[in-house]
Amino acid sequence: MARDHIVVGLEIGTSKICVVVGETRGDGTIRILGVGHAPSRGVRKGEIVDFETAGKCIREALVDAEEKSDVMIGSVYLGVTGGHIESFNNRGAINIPEERDEICDEDFEEVQASAREVSIPSQNMFVHSILQHYYVDGQDGVLNPIGMLGRKLEADFHIIHGVANRIKNSVRCVKEVGPEVLDVVYNPLAAAQVVLDQNQKALGALVIDMGGGTTDYIVYVDGAVKQSGSLPIGGDHMTNDVSLGLRIPMAKAEKLKVEEGSVLLGESRPGEMIVLKDETGFAGKEVEREMLNTIVHCRARETFELLKRRLDGEDIVPYLGAGIMLTGGCSLLKGIDHLAEDVFGTPAHLTHAHAVAGLTSAFENPQFSTAIGLIKYAEAMRPERPKSLFTRVFRKFSFLWMWF
Amino acid sequence: MMPINRNHSSVAQRDVRIKIVGLGGAGSNALDRILLDGPPAAELVAINTDIQALTGSVAAEKVQIGRATTHGLGAGGDPEVGYAAAEEAGEEIRGAVKGAQMIFLCVGLGGGTGSGAARIVAALAREEGALVIAFATLPFTFEGRRRMTQAEEALVALRREADVVICFENDRMGDAVAPLAGIQEAFTMADQTISQSVRAIAALVQRRGLMHLGFDEIVTALRCPGEIAPRCLFGFGEADGDNRANDALARALKSPLMDKGRLLDGAHNVLVNVAGGPGMTLNEVQILMEELNRHIGDETRILFGAAVDPRLGQKMSVTILSALEATPPATVVTPLRPASRAVAASPVSIPPAPRVSEPAPVVRAGESEAEFVEPPAPRIADVDSDEAVAAPAESDPLRVAASAVKPAPNPKRAEVKQAQMQFEPVTRGRFERSEPTIVDGQDLDVPTFLRRNVKVK
Repeated sequence: MARDHIVVGLEIGTSKICVVVGETRGDGTIRILGVGHAPSRGVRKGEIVDFETAGKCIREALVDAEEKSDVMIGSVYLGVTGGHIESFNNRGAINIPEERDEICDEDFEEVQASAREVSIPSQNMFVHSILQHYYVDGQDGVLNPIGMLGRKLEADFHIIHGVANRIKNSVRCVKEVGPEVLDVVYNPLAAAQVVLDQNQKALGALVIDMGGGTTDYIVYVDGAVKQSGSLPIGGDHMTNDVSLGLRIPMAKAEKLKVEEGSVLLGESRPGEMIVLKDETGFAGKEVEREMLNTIVHCRARETFELLKRRLDGEDIVPYLGAGIMLTGGCSLLKGIDHLAEDVFGTPAHLTHAHAVAGLTSAFENPQFSTAIGLIKYAEAMRPERPKSLFTRVFRKFSFLWMWF
Repeated sequence: MMPINRNHSSVAQRDVRIKIVGLGGAGSNALDRILLDGPPAAELVAINTDIQALTGSVAAEKVQIGRATTHGLGAGGDPEVGYAAAEEAGEEIRGAVKGAQMIFLCVGLGGGTGSGAARIVAALAREEGALVIAFATLPFTFEGRRRMTQAEEALVALRREADVVICFENDRMGDAVAPLAGIQEAFTMADQTISQSVRAIAALVQRRGLMHLGFDEIVTALRCPGEIAPRCLFGFGEADGDNRANDALARALKSPLMDKGRLLDGAHNVLVNVAGGPGMTLNEVQILMEELNRHIGDETRILFGAAVDPRLGQKMSVTILSALEATPPATVVTPLRPASRAVAASPVSIPPAPRVSEPAPVVRAGESEAEFVEPPAPRIADVDSDEAVAAPAESDPLRVAASAVKPAPNPKRAEVKQAQMQFEPVTRGRFERSEPTIVDGQDLDVPTFLRRNVKVK
């Protein structure tokens, strides 16, 4: 009998640390048992800048998760992000040895290795090699070549790499707190697993995860990952802008952004004001709504435009049949989907994690998409699971034994 | 509420007869708007050279001027034609304005009929014994220099003839409209402002008030001696709900001609009329006045009127009227903020460290708003001198450069109240200690609205 397996995803975000405890059933379904989170301090733009403080916040989040799910957390899947993470596509090719003409598993390993024979900066390490397409003897559209006859096997991979030390920092930080890190997953990849279904991946979609410190994105075209990356701009920047623009402290700016923020211009009456209540409940400062919206709008638009420029090189937008999916904390801003549509010229939708059972409130919150996605990813990587295309897609190169 | 014995019939006889005269095209539009907002307790008269416009006007009484001069075709944007037309029809105009105690003259200056005829209409009305309050609009800057000059000349002449001239700059009214609104809305806003002010003053005069404001008080509040037209401050706000006193005042201060109440500080007289339904309490009036007092200087005389108007129901309204003595246009408050904002936008070439923004004014101050007339250099002087107090010099060569540019500082400007003089050093805020994110030569940690010079008031 397949034992129900506990899987924990940990995301060290800039605004919050999030731990999701899930249970994967033998049949492959996932159930969320509990979500723990804690405010994050010591993390900026997705990267740890204060080791100790971050560690404390991680501990807080873990304890919260353990209480809520009634599970002792021994190991986690860690999500990473940061502007330093880059990706590119590369094709690997091998010739099947003369003695046999059937393609088998080892060939897959080799072609993957061949694809990674690309120079990345010396300080970087590979995080993922994601399979995109196979070609057998030049024929494309091959879904699973194992067992097929052929002379030459080629495969396109989407390769994600980042600065080794920064990634290792995050891992170390978690290990100092306690749990083991079973694997490191790139955040938008995790988010996409629960935000997109197979159909949307096939049609083509862009997932934008707008978090506190970074805006992560990943593009699927024809069911395969085409592009991914992170912009080191996020909700924090927006709050900072608001704080500086309206001359209010950060905490108030954050609250204001969350409660009243909107990226739509020209929607409020001229001179309409928002009253900021101070701690005693009395009306404190007044700010003009249009000013707030303008500040937030500028930043959001710039972020999207930067993202568009990154994608434009590949002329991606026409291939996004399912459009754009927005998730993450900043996707809660009013009108953000309209702004995205305006900048990219293609329909945009607000989404959150789906296709998991359990705590509804947890996965309907777009801020938890990534953490929940980690569970889905983990589920796919379980060793007991029969090797499937899915597993191969996410096969990471031997990462773990770097730590021991 | 104190029981006050009112003999309504006798009060009714004290009703002031008001005529609202719309002169020229813009004047007619104003009349249309006034009627649209609800029939006022006044008669409407339209005067124009253009027979077509006149026919389409809603006014009960219409006077065509310049039959011989223009043959019913309008003054063609030439004030001389307008003047001649009015001279020609002098007696007819006199007949139209006769019999009223108060004449509200609505006119758009800059064109032909309005600019040319306004002074004549005002003079004739005064001769007939009426108090003349003129509501004049000045054209948008984009309408061109010539129109503006014609308008200004007409304004000077009008001031000599009318008792009070309340002048609205179209540019400023554009501020009140959302940036994406259509142009129709912008013009409608202009008409609405005139309509509200006419209505408010008519009400001030007409209302059976608890404290009645008389003509002379109104005139005192609004008139300023001197050739240059005073800057008119007008605000009207209406609100209902729990916080109606504050809300109404807030809206009044938000009116396009109120400049957020900042300039009330410099006014000699301020006229305030508070009106509400029977449920209005003394407490609310007090709240409102206290709040208003915060915006008014100690030297300012407040002329206060309060009225209960059952038609207002749950609503409370406040009308604020004042005039500021004219000062040369360059002393307008708002443009200094571009300097402070510009200072905050640190140019990329400077490494990310706090307080490096001194060079920015030299670069940026040239991009001030339209109304700012004088060259940027003096601004830097002011900015610098204050900055010297606020922060120790960081980069000396830059300050030397900046001070080398400055001419003798204009003392008058220093007096004008500036809300934003102390500005914080720049501006990476939360990201002070983290590695800057440079993309395309821009530091993305600096707020976007600063880097793109987006106007944020």
